[in-house]
Amino acid sequence: MMAVKVLLVGEGGREHAIAEAICRSPQNPRLYAVMRLNNPGIASLCQKTGGEVFLGDSKNPQTVWEAAEKFHVDWVFVGPEEPLFHGVADTLEKAGIPCVGAKKGPAELEMSKASMRRLMWKYKIPGRLRFKVFKEVSEAVAYLREYAESLALKPARQAGGKGVKVVADLQAYLSAEKSHVKEEHAKIIYSEHMKDYTDIEDRILIEEKVDGPEYTLQAFTDGRTVRPLPLVQDNKNAFEMDIGPETGGMGSIAGKGPLLPFITMEEYRQSVSIVNKCVKAVEAETGEKYKGVVSGQMMLTASWGPTIIEFYSRLGDPEAVNVLPLLKTDMVEICEAILDEKLHKIRLELENAASVVKCVSPRGYPDQRELAKGHPLSIDLEAIRRHGGRVYFASTDQKPDGAIYSGGSRLVEIFAKGETIMEAGEKAEACMPYVKLGDGWGVYHRSDIGSRELLEVRIEQAQLMRAVYKYRAKKGLVGKTVEWIPRKGKLVLKA
Amino acid sequence: MGSGIIGIYGFSRLWKMARFLYYGLMALQHRGQETCGIVTSAGNGNLYHHKAPGLVDQVFSEPKIIEALKGWMGIGCVTAMPEKELGKIQPALVEGPQKVALCFDGKILNVKELTGRVKPFVPQSEAELFAALFSRELEEKHPLDAMAELMKTVKGVYSTVILTGKGEMVAARDPRGVKPLTIGSFGFDYGVVASESCAVDVIGADFKSDLKPGEIYYFDSQSIKRKQAVKPQPSYCAFEHVYLARPDSWINGSSVYNARMEIGKRLAKENPVRDAEVVLGVPETAIPFAVAYSNETGTPLGLGFVQTGRRVRSAIKPTQFERLVGVQLKLNPIKTAMAGKKIVLVDDSVVRGTTTKNTVSLMRNRMGAKEIHVRVGSPRLVASCPYGTEVPPEDELIAANLTPGEVGKVVGADSFHWLSLRGLTDALGIPKSRLCLGCFSGKYPLPPEEGGADDGR
Repeated sequence: MMAVKVLLVGEGGREHAIAEAICRSPQNPRLYAVMRLNNPGIASLCQKTGGEVFLGDSKNPQTVWEAAEKFHVDWVFVGPEEPLFHGVADTLEKAGIPCVGAKKGPAELEMSKASMRRLMWKYKIPGRLRFKVFKEVSEAVAYLREYAESLALKPARQAGGKGVKVVADLQAYLSAEKSHVKEEHAKIIYSEHMKDYTDIEDRILIEEKVDGPEYTLQAFTDGRTVRPLPLVQDNKNAFEMDIGPETGGMGSIAGKGPLLPFITMEEYRQSVSIVNKCVKAVEAETGEKYKGVVSGQMMLTASWGPTIIEFYSRLGDPEAVNVLPLLKTDMVEICEAILDEKLHKIRLELENAASVVKCVSPRGYPDQRELAKGHPLSIDLEAIRRHGGRVYFASTDQKPDGAIYSGGSRLVEIFAKGETIMEAGEKAEACMPYVKLGDGWGVYHRSDIGSRELLEVRIEQAQLMRAVYKYRAKKGLVGKTVEWIPRKGKLVLKA
Repeated sequence: MGSGIIGIYGFSRLWKMARFLYYGLMALQHRGQETCGIVTSAGNGNLYHHKAPGLVDQVFSEPKIIEALKGWMGIGCVTAMPEKELGKIQPALVEGPQKVALCFDGKILNVKELTGRVKPFVPQSEAELFAALFSRELEEKHPLDAMAELMKTVKGVYSTVILTGKGEMVAARDPRGVKPLTIGSFGFDYGVVASESCAVDVIGADFKSDLKPGEIYYFDSQSIKRKQAVKPQPSYCAFEHVYLARPDSWINGSSVYNARMEIGKRLAKENPVRDAEVVLGVPETAIPFAVAYSNETGTPLGLGFVQTGRRVRSAIKPTQFERLVGVQLKLNPIKTAMAGKKIVLVDDSVVRGTTTKNTVSLMRNRMGAKEIHVRVGSPRLVASCPYGTEVPPEDELIAANLTPGEVGKVVGADSFHWLSLRGLTDALGIPKSRLCLGCFSGKYPLPPEEGGADDGR
């Protein structure tokens, strides 16, 4: 029997972890990749398994189709979301090439934040937040002027994770400054973040602001069955102690087992149930089976307990790197079960370990990526291996001469496992001195990820939220708000 | 000199930070009520500033003043030093060689030596001296290294926050950590350092941690860096926990409120008053002591005094007249709370004794209190502070000159008790070896400069 040939789409740390999981299969698959930048980790796996790299615009369906045809692959795995939004899965299906990755219809669950929210309200899925969508910036600004409150401003479309601004507006004496920021940010969403997107009409999403610890639920689905992976918690602030601007994630923790130390089994089940309901709702709405990956960016909030902040039609990055290295089930088997709608026959088995991923970022990331780009990477793989770390290359580009250059985003993601999160964290931390940029340009990482201190902060935050949502449940107030407005009377807002 | 300092660094240019600084300073007003000022930057080489003698809401009463302080980063401070000359008021501004603005809470002990290094420049204050030294180091060094260098050359105790003309912010705490300094943040939007966590709360941010003694934080548009420049040798000021800090603050890893409640409890244990009818606290610092004393003994808590006008820190007012006015306005007694009663009067500190004497005599002679037993929530104040906290010289300190029995007689109390030194350290939950107890013991972690009284102003 011929070895199965797999084409992987994408070039980040997440895709490196996917590539590795595929190549670990006892079926000895041959790996091919379509990448915008030449990720050295993925390239090396292609080479080792007898596959090839196709450099090109990985989000363009035509490019992906060309690569699939050229290499006569059996099926395709799409890592990032943009290729899905552009219809890569649809184009491949038309050409008779199976694809693990949602088609355009189901992927709209992630692409249009507005559609996702409408869907959740239409199907009364728990964990939904109040929102408003605007097509014109003037309408959004008028709304902001009328209601000075804590809220989240987002581009109505997934815009590479950028453009989100969450403003707690609780002190009346600072409200003028905050209103200014909200209005200006609404304008920036309209004129910058949404400028190039013509695939949806909605422009600006305004949503109620909620508080609580965040966590990610990643799952495989064939449209009928949802098979969840262990929960992972990512850390978005650029610098230690959750200070600094928002990044795509500076590192993440998981385990050991399916839960995080601050999420209960009941909350985990509730989160899986929410994701399940959404997958079913998508099919009911679009008539298409959701085949691929679905992830919920969740938060434990006072109003609902497990609450959806965003949906992803792909694995998280860096969250994928926490769990895929621990996956014992054959990844090729999982993917083929997704394609054949037989995921119910698969049990996901993972090594019972805690894991920590730490991202090393170039100075300039996240807000001045041009400065962060084009620096030569200097990495001591041997030393990292010795300290128990595994390297996943992220935004890096290997040139034909072998030299690796920074691509402007996170450079590498280092995975380490252990009996506890703290043990894994210490191992990952020990690897940090071995990632540098050869020209002396600075790099940074967060030393607190995987520390007991940071974990305690999350636990405390979760306990606070848990106490409130349980109190609300006892009073029959889940998803409901009861207000009394002077001269207007009682007002019950139902979700 | 005593002061309260704050620095805010925005991660987005959309933010206008002046009003955040203004409210942060209001939350620090208890640390200094003589002068205040704010300096902001929009990263364009300019430092926008406004400073003057007065309280925060007086100095920044005009909305246009705050409007003119542009930028998404800035620093500010309030001080307890009665200065009238603008050049001596903080934040200090130094034009060259590198433009910097600086807020300073503390005391430099080797002023003379350091002044020689900045010649021909003649600094008008210790803050300006520190700013000038930093500006010189910046010529060749990264701000983090420049501050690390100063930690070696400057002898003294300080918390400081600095803004550079290039739009960088540096915050540092000396290796002893005598003066507090905390850090917090607001979402993905800004980081804040402040003398006390109450300022972090008031501007809506989340308190994260203390800076460690000898630690430096650096903020620019691409990074936040942290450096432990010198090994911490903590000598946290105990007076901060007893008196100076606000009870809603966390400093040195400890809740100020908890510490004060523990003090009240210990006062009750050390020297309880039998058959007392009511416990009255002298506003405002002594209230938690009184509450805890009442909880511990079961003696009912009463409300003895009502304040008139704005809150003032009467004990740290510079002149006797101002202190007297401060106290009289803050202590209008409620006659029905005390007439004919055996009272435990809890006070936060007894410095010169005059305030307590006046209060006791008023309560006894005009309000008709039957017995007055004074309990003081701080140990005997016996030595002045060489590190800038407003403790007067020893010849003005009643505890340094009289026995507790004599003090009781002078103030006219039926009985009189100071918290024991042991009671204080137990209440704080911080080992004695990590505290500066200089004003209670006369022993200082860092020797005052020879020649003493040179305050370098």
